Amino acid sequence: MGAMAIRRAMDDAGLDSTQVDGMLSYHSGDSTPSTSIMYDLGLRPNFYMDCSGGGSSSEALIGLAMGAIEAGMCDTVAIFRSMNGYSNFRIGGTGARAASGISGIDLMKRPYGLISAVQQFAFNFTKHMATYGVKSEDLAHIKVAHSNHASNNPKAMMKQRVSVQDVMDSRWIIRPVAHLLDCCLETDNATCVIVTSAERAKNMKQTPAHIIGVQGRGTKPGGDFHFQHGNMGRVAGHYVGPRIFDMAGVKHEDIDVTGCYDAFTYTVLLQLEDYGWCEKGDGKDYVKSGAINLGGKRPNNTSGGHLCEAYTHGMNMVIENVRQLRGTVDDYCPDAANGVHTYDYSEGGCRQVKDAEISMNMGWGTPAVGSALIMRK
Amino acid sequence: MANYEYRGAILSIPDNDSEYRGYFEAAGEHRLVVKKCGACGLLRGEPGPACPWCPSLEWEWVEVSGKGTIYSYQIVAHTVVPALKDLAPFAIVLVELDEQSGQPTSEDGLRIVANLLDVDLKPEKEENVAIGARVEVIFDDEPDGISIPHFKLSGEPPKGETWQHTI
Repeated sequence: MGAMAIRRAMDDAGLDSTQVDGMLSYHSGDSTPSTSIMYDLGLRPNFYMDCSGGGSSSEALIGLAMGAIEAGMCDTVAIFRSMNGYSNFRIGGTGARAASGISGIDLMKRPYGLISAVQQFAFNFTKHMATYGVKSEDLAHIKVAHSNHASNNPKAMMKQRVSVQDVMDSRWIIRPVAHLLDCCLETDNATCVIVTSAERAKNMKQTPAHIIGVQGRGTKPGGDFHFQHGNMGRVAGHYVGPRIFDMAGVKHEDIDVTGCYDAFTYTVLLQLEDYGWCEKGDGKDYVKSGAINLGGKRPNNTSGGHLCEAYTHGMNMVIENVRQLRGTVDDYCPDAANGVHTYDYSEGGCRQVKDAEISMNMGWGTPAVGSALIMRK
Repeated sequence: MANYEYRGAILSIPDNDSEYRGYFEAAGEHRLVVKKCGACGLLRGEPGPACPWCPSLEWEWVEVSGKGTIYSYQIVAHTVVPALKDLAPFAIVLVELDEQSGQPTSEDGLRIVANLLDVDLKPEKEENVAIGARVEVIFDDEPDGISIPHFKLSGEPPKGETWQHTI
């Protein structure tokens, strides 16, 4: 799958095997190493690295690729993530993960049944609900928005539009923070993003998305056992946000479309607040205002994101924003590939944001770890 | 002895584990301990090797009262651990211990994770789980000399207003 993803990205960019000389990937011991793919692709990298890492690595590795290029280590980097997230190493923690031995910091959590990702972050959101009066049905509006977007994405795994009631009627996983439909998919998939210099990109087949700001895996106080410090509802975006807006030289109102890591509906709510799209505690009203919907002020996860398109450990939100900036989102509009869109966002229709000029990604690793990326047309 | 079976999983706590071994050995004596910095004297909730507040690498285990307040919680309706399926729904609580609450900054505290159980070590009823409820440590003894700390409701009046989700 990794080889397929990289080859298709190279084809998309119009690059042959001599024109990609860098590889970067991230994994949790669950991916194909660069070395076992490069031969199949006929690549001979001048630089490659397989990093350990989870969510929020996508944006971080884009920043590292820029550094590798600027340092003169290579010219063009294929960043990929390949994972059997459904059939093998399930991110939800079932199967092999749940059966493994317990040591180190996990001794303070797993003997108590705290193991899956939705649980690792649940204390943060329960506390946030208590502090700000957030209700479970507030979160459901995020799933509804992303499912509406996915219904206009032929590649989405879950295209079915859902209602707030559907979310509320799905079975509980962890009370009070997540019903089943508040949780993302688990997916076998591979993804690839190609990063090169703006100068080289000028001569490539596609209209490039220009990176104007990137922040990689910034943290809040406390790392793994981040429960120690808080206001626990405050996440890394609180620290990452000001840095990236300052670097990119843009303001919130300049951003046309966002991609926000939606492992769970609550990861979206917390990040939207801490990146400053609304006041802390007002996320529940922001997501119900229509702002995050296609046709709204600033649509979020227009592909359907992790909740509905596929769980790709963060890559698909970056890829979707590149599509948006190109203006050729692969929706159901007949001539979408040529940038002709109807802007009719009803089911089975368009998902291109009109005149999308600047996008932002908010990658989530844990409440304590986050990355961000701002791109312009 | 380095491996212990607990609830169907293997806890690996080697003799040379300077981070966690002492924690579970003390629990075996029904003492809840945390690490205390050898220089600045501050306690830390995560039993790591260095003090987050000063440059010191020196530390010692010190016993705490085992009393605290539920700071946050989660009710596990669905568990991915087969051996815990019969326990569900059960509460995992984040307890802020009475010691060092709000220090060294107003946002810090010693917070540790455990289950909220009743005196028979069965999951506490969901309707009794609330942020603000007062708790005290209890120990689930293992035959090999260690013990797993948990909490039970202490019966004291809550600390401030309580909050719980609508069931």
